[in-house]
Amino acid sequence: MSVVTIALPTGNIQAPGLALLARAGVIHVTPQQLGRRLLVDSGGVRLVVVRPADVVAYVEHGAADLGIVGKDQLWESGRGQGIYELLDLRTNACRLVVAVPERSQLGGPETWPPTLRVATKYVRATAAYMESIGQAVELVHLHGSVELAPQVGLVDAISDLTETGNTLRENRLRVAAVIGESTTRLIANQVSLKTRAREVQDIVRRLRGAVESAD
Amino acid sequence: MRAVQEAVLAEMRRWGYRFVVTSTLESLEVFARGLGPEQLRRLFKLTDADGRLLAVVGERTIPVARLAAGQLRGAALPLRLCYSGPVLSNDGGRFASRRESQQVGAELIGAGGPVADAEVIALAVRCLDAAGLRRYQVDVGHAEFFQGLLDGLQLGPEVKARIKDALAARDLVQLEQVLAATPLRSAEHELLLRFPALRGGPEILDAAGELVRNRRSERALGELRRVFELLGTHGLGAAIQIDLGAIRDFDYYTGVIFEGFGPELGRPLAQGGRYDGLLARFGRPAPATGFVVHLDLVGEVLVRSEHPPALPRLDAAVAWSAPGLDAALRLGSSLRLFGMRAVVDTQPRAQAAARGWRDVVGARHLLHCTGAASVSWQPAGQRLRRLPPEQAVARLAGGRS
Repeated sequence: MSVVTIALPTGNIQAPGLALLARAGVIHVTPQQLGRRLLVDSGGVRLVVVRPADVVAYVEHGAADLGIVGKDQLWESGRGQGIYELLDLRTNACRLVVAVPERSQLGGPETWPPTLRVATKYVRATAAYMESIGQAVELVHLHGSVELAPQVGLVDAISDLTETGNTLRENRLRVAAVIGESTTRLIANQVSLKTRAREVQDIVRRLRGAVESAD
Repeated sequence: MRAVQEAVLAEMRRWGYRFVVTSTLESLEVFARGLGPEQLRRLFKLTDADGRLLAVVGERTIPVARLAAGQLRGAALPLRLCYSGPVLSNDGGRFASRRESQQVGAELIGAGGPVADAEVIALAVRCLDAAGLRRYQVDVGHAEFFQGLLDGLQLGPEVKARIKDALAARDLVQLEQVLAATPLRSAEHELLLRFPALRGGPEILDAAGELVRNRRSERALGELRRVFELLGTHGLGAAIQIDLGAIRDFDYYTGVIFEGFGPELGRPLAQGGRYDGLLARFGRPAPATGFVVHLDLVGEVLVRSEHPPALPRLDAAVAWSAPGLDAALRLGSSLRLFGMRAVVDTQPRAQAAARGWRDVVGARHLLHCTGAASVSWQPAGQRLRRLPPEQAVARLAGGRS
């Protein structure tokens, strides 16, 4: 049996991810035990803790066999053919939405101007969506506090992830369109699926069981 | 890298494959006959003086197919061709991945059926061997197996397109969702869900054979079984696995497909398969199969292995002091005549300085010419001795193996 490496992101996916891995009997580590460690080995499984945006890179290059990652990151990575999306882990459900200021004239896509200015961290997904509905956009790529941008007149709208809608409401924004729904996914390196087929498929089976028993 | 390339090409020549050269630039229209929109997008493009769109080669199978249908039109089929060179591809700069990579490939054009398929797969395995790889495996699948499964589903073309898209994106979550939304529960349905995990030894062919109910998939399984038997006869049973769930470009490949992997690398080292439709697009319909070896990736595996290949060493460094130049040049020629690698110094050096120079150029032996008649030579672990040049050559040539 060779060691299977799983890439786990920091941030809000981590705790539910660890809980799921424990429930599936893959590896038992609590967030407290993990602490600030970036690498944990236990029972034939190695956990590597990386930034959410880096999970895809680790798995695509084969440094990790499996990865736990938000669907939003998969949209943004424009992943190539080196990665398989195996399982919907159903945690961290959220939506990528286009939001406009509450007082704005703008409503659904039919009310948008010929060219819409949008601020976002999710450039690829937003661009792909706008193209699919035939809307011309100017995208402003921001790295944080996207909610601020329309309030100071930088843009007409933002596109951002929202779980409960609270942050949007606090910033007096309302949803104008939904681009997509995201949950956490299990991804695998294409070669790991073949060279470590038995070990990897065993973990996939356990995780699938844990996800389905939660329903 | 160069050594790996030569070893692979030498193996291809042993199998009777003729080396062909294709150009680095091709008209974009040529590639458009064989590549899908996504692959076309990745090509580096430029225009010529007449405003025609050209592309830098992103793969060489299409240029070779064009060669076989064009310049080699008169040559009898089957043609066995091999090639080597850089290919360029714009990978969208996702991870600033390598844009230029080195490939060696072979194509068997004009031969259909399992015997030809097995020949090309066996050649691919032998090439990985020749490259110096020791731990690898080759997965063999069939493009028609999947097409048959799709045929077998009683679904509209739109749903089938979404199934294809989900698989092309390796998005099994999406695949499950699409299939879950369909009313049908057939054997094909079940097989598609399990599709990417349909992998193993020849027993997987029996397991799948009991489930499929369409001629196309059944024929694919029959061909795979035959190819697997033939590979056994080629002496390659152990390295071969069957992978019915291989996901490749299904619009391009028409038959048996295969990929070679090493355990340490996240990407395939070699890929290939049957593409019977391509030659017809250049006006000479013919079945064809072939593969490429990704030299950069093979090199990566070799460098990281437990016994990385040593850089080729020089056999002899020939140094000289003023009156010895003529003797040194003649000595160098003689050594090369005996097949040894030898460099002759470009400036005079004394014995001590010459030892330092030998270490820098990395040669096994140091020969120092001080005059026309004698060479000083220090074999490993022995004292320095003087001897006539012809004797030095004889000793070195004799002791080389």
